[in-house]
Order: sequence, then C-alpha cells, then structure tokens
Amino acid sequence: MSAIWRIAKATFHEALRRRFLNGILIFGILIIGSSWTFTYLQPGAELKMLVDIGLGAIRFFGMLIAIFVGVRLIPDEIEKQTIHTLLAKPVTRAQFLLGKFLGGVATVFTNVALMGLAFVIVYMVKAPQLRELAPDEGPGISMVFMAPNIGKAIGLTCFELLILAAIAVVASTIFSWVMASIFSFFIYFVGQMADFLRELASPEHGADTASTIVFGVLYRILPHFEIFDIRESILKDNFVPWSLLGNVAGQAIIWVVVVLMIGYLCFNEREV
Amino acid sequence: MEGNPVGLIDLSLEVEEGQIFGLVGPNGSGKTTTLKLLLGLVFPTSGSGEIFGYPLGTLTYKQRIGFVPEGPYFYDHLNAVELLRFYGSLFGMGGAELESRIEYLLKLVGMWQRRDRKVLDYSRGMLQRIALAQGLINDPDLLLADEPTSGLDPIGAIQIREVLMRLRDEGKTIFLCSHLLKEMEPLCDRVAILNQGVVCHEGSMEELLTGEDGRYVATFRDLDQVALQHLRVLAERVDSEGDQYVAAFSDQQSATAAASEMIDKGAQLIKISPQRLTLEEVFIEAVGGIPE
Repeated sequence: MSAIWRIAKATFHEALRRRFLNGILIFGILIIGSSWTFTYLQPGAELKMLVDIGLGAIRFFGMLIAIFVGVRLIPDEIEKQTIHTLLAKPVTRAQFLLGKFLGGVATVFTNVALMGLAFVIVYMVKAPQLRELAPDEGPGISMVFMAPNIGKAIGLTCFELLILAAIAVVASTIFSWVMASIFSFFIYFVGQMADFLRELASPEHGADTASTIVFGVLYRILPHFEIFDIRESILKDNFVPWSLLGNVAGQAIIWVVVVLMIGYLCFNEREV
Repeated sequence: MEGNPVGLIDLSLEVEEGQIFGLVGPNGSGKTTTLKLLLGLVFPTSGSGEIFGYPLGTLTYKQRIGFVPEGPYFYDHLNAVELLRFYGSLFGMGGAELESRIEYLLKLVGMWQRRDRKVLDYSRGMLQRIALAQGLINDPDLLLADEPTSGLDPIGAIQIREVLMRLRDEGKTIFLCSHLLKEMEPLCDRVAILNQGVVCHEGSMEELLTGEDGRYVATFRDLDQVALQHLRVLAERVDSEGDQYVAAFSDQQSATAAASEMIDKGAQLIKISPQRLTLEEVFIEAVGGIPE
C-alpha cells in the first residue's frame, strides 16, 4: 500500500507541473468565469444557460484533462526510463499501475475541483441577478434543489472521469499515447451515444443482421457516459435522488475495476 | 551492426559473491538487455535465471539489489534528499534510519552540499552521482550498474570507482555493464565480453589480460646494433621504450633462449614475463577486430 501511495503522490506532483494541462485548466476556468456573458443568448432562461454552460465546461475540460493525463502517465515513465529504477525496487507492476492511476485521478479531481469552485463562485455571484432578470423562471428554478444538484452533477462528473482516466491509462499500456488518445476520445464520444447505438442495433429500426451484432455488441461493452450527465434534470429542476447517484457511482467503480484488471494483464506482459 | 540492439542469443553467466563482474561489449551487443532481464523488465523467450536463488523478476531478491541506470532520469521536481527518501520508502525504509542513510550516501557521492537543488537543475554528472546514491539506498548485497561513470569528469569517475571498490571490499557483489574498457580494467575481478548477443570471452581479468596462449616478453638494456639486429630476427616484434628494448616471443622457451643469446652478446636482461594485454586489445580480438 505504501508503494502505491508513494507512486501516486509522485505522479500527482509531476502531473500538476505540466504546462499543457495547466493551460487546459486555465482555459476551462476562463470559460466558466465568463459563462454569464453568454446568457443573453437565451432571454428569459439566463440562469439555466449559466448552469448549462458551467457544468458543460467542467465536463468537457475535465474530459480533456482525464484523457491527456491518463495517456501520458505510463508512456512518459517508459520514455524517460524512470520506470526502470522504480521496477528495480520491490514494486510490483500492479502497484505501479495502480499508483500511476491514482496519482492521475487525483490530478483530474483537483482540476475538476478548481473548475467547480470557479463555477460555484460565478453561480453565487450571478444567480441572484439572473433570477431577478427572469422572475418568471420562478418556480422552475428552485434554489433549494439547485445547489445540491450542482454538487451532485460535479460528483457524477468525477465518476465519469474516473472511468475515462482508467480507459486512457490502460489504452496507453497497449498503444502509443497518440493512439491511446484517439481511442479514448472515440470511446468517450461513442459512449455518449449509447441510446443511439441501441437504436442502430434494433431490427425494428431497420438494422440488418450485421448492424444488429456490431452495434449491439458496442452498446453492451461500452460504458454509457450519458448516465453521468444530469444537466437535463437540473435544468428541469428535478430533485436528483441520492439513489441515482449511488447506482451510477457503483457502475463507475465496477467499470474502473474491470478496465484496470485488463490494463494489468496487458501491462504485466509488456517489456519495458 | 553497431548501434543496432540485438537480442541475447546465448548468455550463461555465473557471478560469485564479493566480486566486481564486468560485462563489456560494443553498442547494441545486449548489455542493457541483460540488465533488464535481471531486473525483470524484459522476459526471456527461453532459458531462466536466478538472483540469490530466486527466479528473475520476483520481488524477493529486489529487496537485496540496487540498480544504477545509464543516462538516468528521475522525477525532476524533487531535490536529492526527497528523491532518495522516495526510493527508500519503496523499500519500507523511513525515520531516522533513512535520513542518516541519505546523508551518508549524499556525502559518499559528493552531493551533500548540493542536496537542496532540484533534479531539474542537475548536470549529467550530478545525475550519475545521484543515480549511484539511489542504487545504494537499501544497502544492497548486489549492485547492478549500467555505465556508472558515463557523463562524469575524470575526478568524478575516479570517485565512483573508489566507491565501487570500497563496496567490493565490504563484501558486496557488483555487476557492471560498460563499453568504457579503460574504466573496467582496473575495477573488475571477472569480465565477460558480449558480442551480438553471445558471450565470446569470459574469465578473470588476470587470465584475460595475461592471455592463454603463453606469449612472453623479454626486456633488455645495453644492446649494441649487432645484438639488436639479432634480437629482431629472434623475436616476433621489438619495441623500444627509452633505453630499453621489449621483445615479444611466442612462448617462454623462445624468450629464455633469446635472452641467453643476448646476455652472451653483452646485453643486460631486465626481465622476462608473460605478455600482458590491455582489456582493449583482448576486446578487439574477441569481437573480431575493428570493422573496416
């Protein structure tokens, strides 16, 4: 456990110093910070627009950070040969992989937390003004539901990025980091369209046998990332139940465990 | 083939405890691959190996080994103390024991005064020194080192050599890979020469440098022109070194016979001894000469 913790800590400190990632974070915070300036695009629904842009930006930039952190964690160690001195010590490959993953996840969560903080500040400053601008949004936007719902949305984004980071790390143990990035983006975007895949696989929608098999398999094996996006519920001001959160978080953890086990099997056989 | 790494085809080595064992070979001969095999970073397609009786790649022996990589890279946001603390913690070390070990090692490799500088700011030589320190953090019984003096200035190289010899005197076993033959010659007890993945020569340094073919040299002084002319006929080669002449013979008998003739001609015999080669000469012969 100590080795995993030590490697995770070192990975976290290394990753925080990456200028490229800091650039993504700064850009994300700028978008979130200026999100209220776009609210004029939907007169009468400014507050909903603010929430939509803010949470959307956290998800989008979080996704970029999760992929770019994940795909570089292990290839960088191999390129710089720091992995040689690490694996020459009494450290198993499983400990190494898990340590790198946890360090990467800590980096992603830190970035999401910073973007979340920026959004909360913008929301606290701007929401009262925007509610006054559009008082008829009135009962549609309950401040009682909104605040906890925003917290839940950011929490679910973290679980979503947990899976994505695991996929990126594991892909980088098999492919080059460039290929691993493309692969991770592909999985993420296709995973956003799980319902569409189901329709494509459905004979009722005119799918032939090959389409039914291909899209059916994709539908079953890919993570359904759209379940982590609760913005629609928030914008309709539905209370997001804790049970939904528990259910989705549970699925995410199962996904991460499975993906990391596949990663371990690949990495354990890999010559470094 | 120079520079193109090859796989290891035939490698059978046994390293005794308390020795400095040198694995030398041209670039791409398989030296680094050998080290990677020993560390479990790559896997043999056939055959097996053991360190301290444990199969290659297992964690048990890694508690007792140290590794000094070539051209080392480390987490560069750390300073020397933090770096050694990190590696020490991977062995389960901590507290005062680790801190005093860190101080001892940084002084040993001449980095104590520069301990607060970040790895990012290190020169190649400083990295090499810190690489040796991290390799020794767990006080290993076996140290595996890949080109440990590469990138060091002459003083630094001598200091590292002294550290390695001190470790050998303490009973540690050291496995060195290098193509710096002049560095290896005074350092190693045994040497294996690796070429294109095959061990083509192995033995104690003394055996290798003395040669197995029984060649001898005789050294003379006070040779007149007639005697010198005659010596050139008897010997395979005659070189002058100051006021002395060194004549090479194919065996001890020829050397002795020539010596007695030269004494009869009034020359002074300084010594007759087995011909001693340099490791470089042995190496060039073992790898089939210098390519055109």
